[in-house]
Amino acid sequence: MSNANFTLRAGEVCGLVGANGSGKTTFARIVSGLLMPDGGELRLYDQPVNLRSHLDAELYRLAMVHQNLSLVPEMTIWENIVLGREQTGPFAFLDNRAAIIQAEGALDIISAKIPVRERAKNISPDEKQLVEIGKALAKDPRILILDEPTASLDFHQVESLFRAIRRLKEKGVSIIFISHRLWEVAKICDRLVAFRNGETVGELDFTSQPRDAKLIIPLITGQEVREKIKKRSNVRELEITNQAARGPALEMRGVSLEGKLHQVSFTLRRGEILGLGGLQGQGQEEILMILAGYLKGYTGEVLVKGRPLSLRNTRRAIREGIALIPGDRHKEGLFLEHTVLSNLLYPKIAMHQGSILLPTARYQQLAEEAVEAVSLIPPNPRLIVSQLSGGNQQKVVVGKWLALSPDVLLLNDPTKGVDVGTRQNLYTIISQLAEKGTSVVLYASDNEELIDNCDRVLIVFERRIVKEIGADDLNEEKLVVSSLNIEHSSEKSAGIHEGNGT
Amino acid sequence: MKNLRALQGILQDSSFPSFLMLVLLVFVNAIIQPGFFSFQVFRMNFMTFTPLILVSLAQATVILVGAVDLSLGAGISLVTVVMASLMKDSVFSIITVTLIGFCLALFLSLFNGFFFGYFGPPSLIMTFATSTIWFGISLLIMPTPGGYIPAAYYGIYSKTVAGFLPVPVIVLFVAVGFCLLLGRLKAFRHLYAVGGSERAARASGINVTATKIFGFLVSGVFVALAALCVVGQTATGDARSGQGFTLNSVAAAVIGGFAFSGGKGNYAGAIIGGIILGLLTNIIYFANITSFYQEFMKGVIIIVALLFGALPRLRRELSRR
Repeated sequence: MSNANFTLRAGEVCGLVGANGSGKTTFARIVSGLLMPDGGELRLYDQPVNLRSHLDAELYRLAMVHQNLSLVPEMTIWENIVLGREQTGPFAFLDNRAAIIQAEGALDIISAKIPVRERAKNISPDEKQLVEIGKALAKDPRILILDEPTASLDFHQVESLFRAIRRLKEKGVSIIFISHRLWEVAKICDRLVAFRNGETVGELDFTSQPRDAKLIIPLITGQEVREKIKKRSNVRELEITNQAARGPALEMRGVSLEGKLHQVSFTLRRGEILGLGGLQGQGQEEILMILAGYLKGYTGEVLVKGRPLSLRNTRRAIREGIALIPGDRHKEGLFLEHTVLSNLLYPKIAMHQGSILLPTARYQQLAEEAVEAVSLIPPNPRLIVSQLSGGNQQKVVVGKWLALSPDVLLLNDPTKGVDVGTRQNLYTIISQLAEKGTSVVLYASDNEELIDNCDRVLIVFERRIVKEIGADDLNEEKLVVSSLNIEHSSEKSAGIHEGNGT
Repeated sequence: MKNLRALQGILQDSSFPSFLMLVLLVFVNAIIQPGFFSFQVFRMNFMTFTPLILVSLAQATVILVGAVDLSLGAGISLVTVVMASLMKDSVFSIITVTLIGFCLALFLSLFNGFFFGYFGPPSLIMTFATSTIWFGISLLIMPTPGGYIPAAYYGIYSKTVAGFLPVPVIVLFVAVGFCLLLGRLKAFRHLYAVGGSERAARASGINVTATKIFGFLVSGVFVALAALCVVGQTATGDARSGQGFTLNSVAAAVIGGFAFSGGKGNYAGAIIGGIILGLLTNIIYFANITSFYQEFMKGVIIIVALLFGALPRLRRELSRR
């Protein structure tokens, strides 16, 4: 970071935007006392301050909501919320009753209904995010830093978070809102500051300028908004039809999974990008997990290239040419302490058959091709993955499956926490693959991504596929309305197998 | 409703499987050991169980904070050697040497704690190294078992207070009281946080280094109590007297529901784990198994006990499939 300037006015919500690695998180860490700047000045409430630790920042009533890393899984919600600031009664004994009341109060502010006695490991990612926010609020802050608070929330929860933010603002709390979701920034912030390569490159004041996400993109990328790369739907339709002679890539027939899915049927054509839409947690991830061989015990049939198949395990699925790019890249996608090269080659090596010795030279070349295909920065396969920025780590996840040249690519919310540039890059790669005949199933929590990239979107609601939207009808309103399933089933489109409608 | 929730809490507790195992072993032991429920046998049993339980508590505390201490046994040996070489008959000597032994045990644990807390080496290797150092010092002081422990000291350990409370059991009560006290302290809660997720603990403003050292300090208190009991039980100084404790205590803590990765488990489990290992030795002895097979059987039963502990997790994972 160099030469970054940032002013937060009292009682305002200020957005902070920038690509991955532009210095947003570094900034947040400096302000919250986790990092010491090499130069420059930090002033809080018009006083120059020197924050040596997290605790110093708390003295100034500054609280930070971390990106899902400050919860201890084995501890209860209330223990987590008061962690580090436990109140004690006589004899320095812990006052658990007061702690529970405090925790419930903090969650009340954002009207989150989460049982505080539950252990943190047992709640969903979006609930964890709300608990993180509650934890910051329990400190009664005057300045609140939210680092990508909406990454794992659905739009209802985002709405209730925004209500909470407005309420806090009325109370005089100043808020820094860091996010990749530009429309959210445009909606909630009074003002925004953009960082690029560790420098402040621009500001927007929404009191004088329209709240339009398009104004923000040039600030972040330094380029004008790229025209949408999506082709006209009839061109895509032709491309897909050309592949049709080779039969469907994948088919689900009446697949049910106890409590998770009910009678799900659909056909994935070759070269098609099929979207899964709807509210979070309606069963989209389960569909992907079944196809990737993670979930067992379902009833119904899965057909791959027209042949019925039991996807016993992930290995089998990979052999059939099905690759899953997971949403949580740290958990399932990458070996963080290994080199890019090893990461790119693990699936290839695992699937190797034939010779006893591995064809090292060929693998080396494959890895270099993959690095180039995903335009990794820096383009060096010998780097350790944990040294790369978040967006580039995601590129490695994509790259390692490209080396296998899969027939079916499953994407589980692939752009969570990824900046605009990387996101465009990812979808460019995906559309190129689709042109060559790879079929893609895309689940994205961001509707815009579905609209921009899919040939068809299936809406999942309460464990079923309730609607299919073709490319020509794809728009935000249609997606939101269908997600809530408030339309009548009379509009049910053709092409869905029987047993799906409500 | 409230009772139901309490019951659910017990069933889901990390130490519940080990409790089932304990009931089973008590049952088996009662069948094959004559007079298992008689007071004499009870007293004798606890003379050997108590040090093991205390060491298990010590190990459990260290495991809780995400480390492991392989120097516990060697530390106990060193304390016995030092005490046996210093102690004289006078009351004054007995009291001061006991205090010296206690403080020495605390110091040994703190030494490990400081290194682990400040420099963060893998605790497994770190404490393996200190264990050989402790062992070396013990051998220097006392190459062969010996020294002198006055009858006034070891006599106390086999005494019974008020006709029904053997001293080892009283020592256990003291330890349990200490556990209950700890459970209400802020620093103790932080042990769970640091062991559960160091990153999260740091982000919550917890002093991670201090917490790790605190964990080793608490462990030192239990080790000190255990060492005093071992001296009372064996009445000699022996550079090898503590050897068996180290890995037994790790086994006891894990059987008792402590996660080896840290941040999970409770002291009740460690106590149960300690008793389980004690009962195992008993059962193998009274079942007239040839001594060649004793170690073999013990290993097999420990694996069974570990599977017991893994049951809830396995069931969860199976149901998810």
